[in-house]
Amino acid sequence: MTRRLNDNTPTAWPLVLPAVVGLVAFVAVPFLLALFLSLTNLRLGSPLPLEYVGLRQYVRIFTAPSFQRALVNNAVFAMVVVPVQTTLALALAILLNRGLRGMAIFRTLFFMPVVFPMALVAVVWELLYAPGSTGTLNAFLGTVTLGWWEPKAFLHDAFWALPAIMVLSIWQGLGFQMVILLAGLQSIPDQLYEAASIDGAGKLSQFWHVTLPQLRNPLVFVVLLTGILAFRVFDQVQILTQGGPNDATTTVMYEAVTAAFSRQQVARASAMTVVFFLIVLAITLGQRMLVREEREVA
Amino acid sequence: MRGKFQECEMSIVNLPRHFGRRLRQICAGARLALFVVLAFSLSLVGCREDSRPPDAPPGAVVLTAWFHSGRQAERRTIQDQIKRFNQSQREVYIRPNVIPEDTYNGQVQAAALAGDLPDILEFDGPFLYNYVWQGNLHPLGDRLGEEIQSDLLPSIVEQGTFRDAFYAVGTFDSGLGLYGRRSLLEAAGARIPTKPSESWSVAEFEEILADLAKGDPDGAVLDLKLNYEGEWYTYAFSPVLQSADGGLIDRTEYQSAEGVLNGPESVAALEHVQSWIADGYVDPNIDDAAFTEKRVALSWSGHWDYPRYADAVGDDLVVMPLPDFGKGTRTGQGSWCWGITLKCSHPQQAARFLRFILQPDEILAMTRANGAPPARKAAIARSRLYGNSGPLRLFAMQLEEGYSVPRPRTPAYPTITNVFERAFQDIRHGADVQATLDRAAATIDEDIRANEGYPPQN
Amino acid sequence: MNDRVPDYAVPVRRRMTALAATATNYLVLTVGALVYVAPILFMIVASFKPDERVLPEAGTWQAFFPERTTAENYGDVFERVRFGRYMLNSMLVTGSIVGGGLVVNSLAGYALARLQWRGRGAVFRVVLALMILPLEAIAVPLFYETTLLGWRDTYVVQIVPFVANAFAIYLFYSFFLGMPKELEEAARIDGAGVWRTLVEIILPNAKPAFAAAAITTFLMYWGLYLWPLMVTTHEDVRPLPLAVATFRTLPPLNWGDIMAFAVMMVAPVLVVFIIFQRWFVRGVAASGMKG
Repeated sequence: MTRRLNDNTPTAWPLVLPAVVGLVAFVAVPFLLALFLSLTNLRLGSPLPLEYVGLRQYVRIFTAPSFQRALVNNAVFAMVVVPVQTTLALALAILLNRGLRGMAIFRTLFFMPVVFPMALVAVVWELLYAPGSTGTLNAFLGTVTLGWWEPKAFLHDAFWALPAIMVLSIWQGLGFQMVILLAGLQSIPDQLYEAASIDGAGKLSQFWHVTLPQLRNPLVFVVLLTGILAFRVFDQVQILTQGGPNDATTTVMYEAVTAAFSRQQVARASAMTVVFFLIVLAITLGQRMLVREEREVA
Repeated sequence: MRGKFQECEMSIVNLPRHFGRRLRQICAGARLALFVVLAFSLSLVGCREDSRPPDAPPGAVVLTAWFHSGRQAERRTIQDQIKRFNQSQREVYIRPNVIPEDTYNGQVQAAALAGDLPDILEFDGPFLYNYVWQGNLHPLGDRLGEEIQSDLLPSIVEQGTFRDAFYAVGTFDSGLGLYGRRSLLEAAGARIPTKPSESWSVAEFEEILADLAKGDPDGAVLDLKLNYEGEWYTYAFSPVLQSADGGLIDRTEYQSAEGVLNGPESVAALEHVQSWIADGYVDPNIDDAAFTEKRVALSWSGHWDYPRYADAVGDDLVVMPLPDFGKGTRTGQGSWCWGITLKCSHPQQAARFLRFILQPDEILAMTRANGAPPARKAAIARSRLYGNSGPLRLFAMQLEEGYSVPRPRTPAYPTITNVFERAFQDIRHGADVQATLDRAAATIDEDIRANEGYPPQN
Repeated sequence: MNDRVPDYAVPVRRRMTALAATATNYLVLTVGALVYVAPILFMIVASFKPDERVLPEAGTWQAFFPERTTAENYGDVFERVRFGRYMLNSMLVTGSIVGGGLVVNSLAGYALARLQWRGRGAVFRVVLALMILPLEAIAVPLFYETTLLGWRDTYVVQIVPFVANAFAIYLFYSFFLGMPKELEEAARIDGAGVWRTLVEIILPNAKPAFAAAAITTFLMYWGLYLWPLMVTTHEDVRPLPLAVATFRTLPPLNWGDIMAFAVMMVAPVLVVFIIFQRWFVRGVAASGMKG
């Protein structure tokens, strides 16, 4: 009886239909298509017939040095950027949470790069990374180290290229994390800190035993998001280094787009994106295991 | 309390009213859906229109044409030519579309897949073979007319021909060489070659680099246009391979790059180039102004830079052939050309546009703007730059006397050029040349195998 | 966290330490902010310098305090490319994605959270599953799919695939789940159907969710580069991020012009952000807390 009364099926379906159609047509279908295409030899525009080739594309990409390097680069990116960016964001959030005057200005300044498209950030930083002693970053480092620093062509140096890309990525994304962590900090009740200091806990101990546990959800969210973003890196690489020097900055997405667009190898690119999805899935499942989630599917 | 009572009423007593409620629910849902659809349609406002352009004469055939966005002068010239063609007659109207150069091939491939190709397509010559193999182009046959056909440079005809049919024609070819500053070269005691047969040997070239570097504040005396992206690397540096008796691919069967691209001759040639960069002789050129700002004495570049360089350096400019790596100097040839796609239902009218831009006056208008060698002998004779006493006579000589080599005429070319570009970037960053070229050759061979050797399609 | 004990009762030493702490705080933040914002200042200043002086002076004080300034770069940009059109394209595309998304995703989120209907469980599971698929995982096949549909090179292809957004649906879902049931019950007592309940009661109270969704969606798609790179050709429909990358390689290579392009590209959004920063911050924070 209750079901019949509350059953809003005819009303509900028009509400969800556009979303469902959109998600199915433009997310689910392409995903299944990727799985299917990765098992074929599809090439864009080829007049030759389509063939089923099983796992051959996967074998090929995992034995290709540039794809292997791409996986490594993405992993390195994640392992460096996630802790560095999160720590910096947390530090900034703590500094901004002191309740001092003028914090809004600082918050705005640190958040500004977030509204910059990554493509734009890449173009500006290309100038900053200019080689030779006249390049901005080179000159700055030279001054700060009192002449010890030798000018580097960052984007063309097999060692410095990936760090260079990481720095500008951190620069762009830091504000976003900082804001989330700041909101998290502000929602921690003062009583917890008072209770802790009554118990004799010093500042560091309070941080460890009160702040961090209370920040668990936002922290996990931020770490997860940045981790996934680390595997999505594309724009900066395509604009600044095109995967070089010597594959030092190539990423999974860069390899996939190059395969599809410059070499018309759609099947191979699909295999790469399937691998990418599996990695993202693994990271997400890892997060779910770390966080106890309450889901209502009543 | 009252709510409970209403529930009761509905369930027990009022079946018709219950149905009415259902109806109202559906209506409510429908209204919502309508609202959503409306919001959606608003967002589709900016759909690209395929409607007829307003200034096309009635009854005229409207044809779309794609061309690349290169240098400003070049782009403006084509736009101007299209406008004048449209104004000169009332049967054909060309609607232009400018495509950025860097992803040009990718865009063409995607458009071909969508059935979206234009009627008239400009493209970089060596991609012809792939486009023909995919079945995208109409053969030109004899639509250009005898007068034009017989007057074209052999290199232009060769570039546009594949498997015995003629598909595309360019209004200009290209020239590639070493620009230099006479005063600096003379101060370094170097002789100045003016003919392809007089080119420096590699050893001589490297000595000259060292001598020039002594007098230069940062030691960088050569500009290799390392700031360029894309097709430049294959165009500018694969002739070096051939000058050394190597190459990109076996040119008898076009089935394998193994042994050619990674053969000892090619490796040696690129090791030379790598050494120039490693020794610090090459300016990174990230502002594309190394030569015009007088930071370097030599610039490895093509015809398009002549106007800028002549402006910056004046009479001090000399145009020289590329160094000889063993078998004589070799240089690049080929450039953008025009074809008619199979999507065009009026190929005869499309050919009228091609005949228009192939008139000597129009060719000269273009080559004045971009400094390229004209595609017709009639135009060359009248050209200030390429005529007998013209400053770019060397480029014409290279084309006429066989010192220029076409890029490989195979449908595998898009892959070959992409692979070579990446290999060159790696080499320029210091990678081991043999290993890099081994990988490159293997990738090219894999692609050819995957496409079953690019067999002819009918 | 702050002592409420009146000043005169606090021993002098403690006051000095507190003062020192505050001063250090400000110092660190100021230096940090200056270094952090330096690239933006550099960009703005470079856009006002003559082209040939941008690169040679990049490593000197003149990168921030120029000797000569000129506004000609801005004019050059308009002369060389159709900047206005790119801006229009970006605004139209992003605006449609955000606008359409707010409608589509909020309704779906509400239906999932508050209504009972057949298929609800299945749809919910699908939304959860699709939430972890970023654009890149499906970009290549989606490109293939939309090309076959003939949508290449339009606004449609840049908008429609992104309107339905699993993450936004979940955002609305969690929000509506947390809304007090009393509102809807009051509406039902008044005899309102679902539609009226939504429009008159629920939606006006959902402003925080709308702000959060709008802002995160905007930030996601305003800077989108990969997708338009793959599916658009004509400058009539290309958005700003693509345009700036292309402009960077368009000869002649004038860094002053490029920086002017960059400034004009980001200025409107920056201004909107500065004015509405509270909403931005709240929106971002809300999405983070819910996630």
